[in-house]
Amino acid sequence: MQITLVQGILLSLACVVIGVDYWLEAFFIFRPIIVATITGIILGDIKTGLIAGGLTELAFAGLTPAGGTQPPNPVLAGVMTTVIAHTTGTEPTLAIGLALPFSILMQYVILFYYSSFSVFMSKADKYAENADVKSLGRLNMLTTGIVALSYGVIVFLSTYVAQDAMRSIVSAMPVFLTHGLEIAGGILPAVGFAMLLNVMLKARYIPFFIIGFLVATYIAIANLLPVAIIGLALAMYDYYFVKSDDELSHAGGTQDEGI
Amino acid sequence: MKEYKKVLTDKDISAMAYRSALLQASFNYERMQAGGWTLAMAPALQKIYKDDKEGLAAAMTDNMQFINTHPTLVPFLMTLLLSLEESTGDRNLIKGVKVGLFGPLAGIGDAIFWFTLLPIMAGICSSFAIQGNILGPILFFGVYVAIFFMRFPLAKIGYNLGTSALDTIRESSKKLSRAATILGMTVIGSLAATYVHITLLPKIRISDAVDPISIQTAFLDKIFPNLLPLCYVFLIFYLIRYKKVSPTVLIMGTIVLTIVMSFLGVL
Repeated sequence: MQITLVQGILLSLACVVIGVDYWLEAFFIFRPIIVATITGIILGDIKTGLIAGGLTELAFAGLTPAGGTQPPNPVLAGVMTTVIAHTTGTEPTLAIGLALPFSILMQYVILFYYSSFSVFMSKADKYAENADVKSLGRLNMLTTGIVALSYGVIVFLSTYVAQDAMRSIVSAMPVFLTHGLEIAGGILPAVGFAMLLNVMLKARYIPFFIIGFLVATYIAIANLLPVAIIGLALAMYDYYFVKSDDELSHAGGTQDEGI
Repeated sequence: MKEYKKVLTDKDISAMAYRSALLQASFNYERMQAGGWTLAMAPALQKIYKDDKEGLAAAMTDNMQFINTHPTLVPFLMTLLLSLEESTGDRNLIKGVKVGLFGPLAGIGDAIFWFTLLPIMAGICSSFAIQGNILGPILFFGVYVAIFFMRFPLAKIGYNLGTSALDTIRESSKKLSRAATILGMTVIGSLAATYVHITLLPKIRISDAVDPISIQTAFLDKIFPNLLPLCYVFLIFYLIRYKKVSPTVLIMGTIVLTIVMSFLGVL
C-alpha cells in the first residue's frame, strides 16, 4: 500500500509536535508506543500501529538519552516501523530493523544540532548581559523551530517522497564523519566545564575539584549523588570548622587569591 | 546584601512549573540546558529585580552557565534558587547551590524515570499493545501526563525549602556560599571525569609475536584514567581565562579537530 499525500502531510505535522516533545522531554508522546499508535491511526491501520508500537517500545526501552547521550531516534523508529510494516506488508519485527537507518539518520541530525547550537550561546550570553529577555526568547524559539521543521521535512521525505533514497543517504555517510560527530559529543562538554571553572575557580578551591574528579574516575558510581555527598561533607566541614572570610581578614589572612 | 522583599506569589511559583518545560529549548553540547533554563527563569527574575536592570543582567548572566539536570525534577531547583534570589541575591551562594544540585538531581531523575519507570511502563503497556489493545498506549500516556503535573508540587517544595531556611542563609551567607562553592567544585570535578570522553585508538606494533599495544590502555590509563579529559578541560580553561579565546571558536575548533582525528584514526 502506498502512503497518500494527505497521509504524508498528516504524519509530518504529527511529528512536528512529537519532535518538539522529544526535544523538551515533556509529555513523553515521543516514545515509540505512542508514535506508532498515532501513525497507525493516520494510516487507518491502527492494529499494525499498536503491534509495531509495542515491539519497538520494547526494543527501545534500553536506549535512553540519560546522561546527555543521544540514542537512535525513537520518533522515526515509531513512524517508520509502522509505515514499512503497513506499506510493504512485512512483519513488524522485521520492520523494526528496516526502520533503523531512518532512526539513525534523525539521531545524527539531532547530534548535529546539539553541536551547532553551541554557536548560539555567545549570543545568549550577550542577551543575558543586557537583560534582554525578548531576544533570548526568540533565540530559544529559533532553535526549537529548527528542530520542529527538521522533523516535519525528514518525516515527509521518509514516508511520502523517497523511502529508498533516504535509506541510501544513511549508508552513504562516511564512517569517519559519523564517528567524528559521535566523538565530538563526548568532548564538547569540556568547553562548558572550562567556562564554569573560569567563573568559579580560585586556587583554594582546586583541592575539591581534584577530589571530585578522582572519586568519579576511580569509583564506579551509577550517578553523581555519592560525589555530591562527599562534596556536602567537605562543605559542612568548611562551614562548621573553618573561620569565615570576615574573621580571617581581621586576623590578617588573605582572600580571593588568584591562580 | 540586598533588602529582602517577598514578591513572588503562588501564581508565580505555579507558572515556574509549566515554564520549566522550556528547559531544553536550546539544548547544545556546550552549555546543555542553560539557554532554556535562563528563559524559563526570566519572568520571575524580572519580577524580583524590577527596576534594577544591572541586578537582573547579573542574575541572567549567572543563569547562562552550564547546566544539565533532569527535566521533570528541575522545577524544584528553579524555585529553590528563586527563593534565594529573592532573599539574598548573593551570586556566589546561588551559583554554588545551583552547580552543587543540578548533577545529583539529574542522577536521581535518570535513575527514577529512565532506568526504573520507563522499563516498567514499556513492559506493561507493550504487552497490551502487541495484542492489539489500545489500552497500552492510553495507559502509557496517562501515567506520563500525571508525571508532568508532578512539576507543580515540586515547584512548591523547592520554594518553601528556600524560604524556610532563610534566616540561617541570611546570617551566614558568606560562609554558606563558600561551602556551596566547595560542594559545586567537587561536583564539577566529577562532571569533568564522567561527561568528557577521549579515547585514543592507535596501537603500537612491537613485533609480530606480541599483540599490538594500545596507547590508551597500556600507557595513559596506567598513569590514570581520564587523563586526557582532564588535560583538555584545563587546556580550554587556560585558553578562555588567559588567552581570551571565544568559546565559539573553541567549539568549532573542537568539532573540526574530532572529525580530523576521526579521519586519521586517532580518536
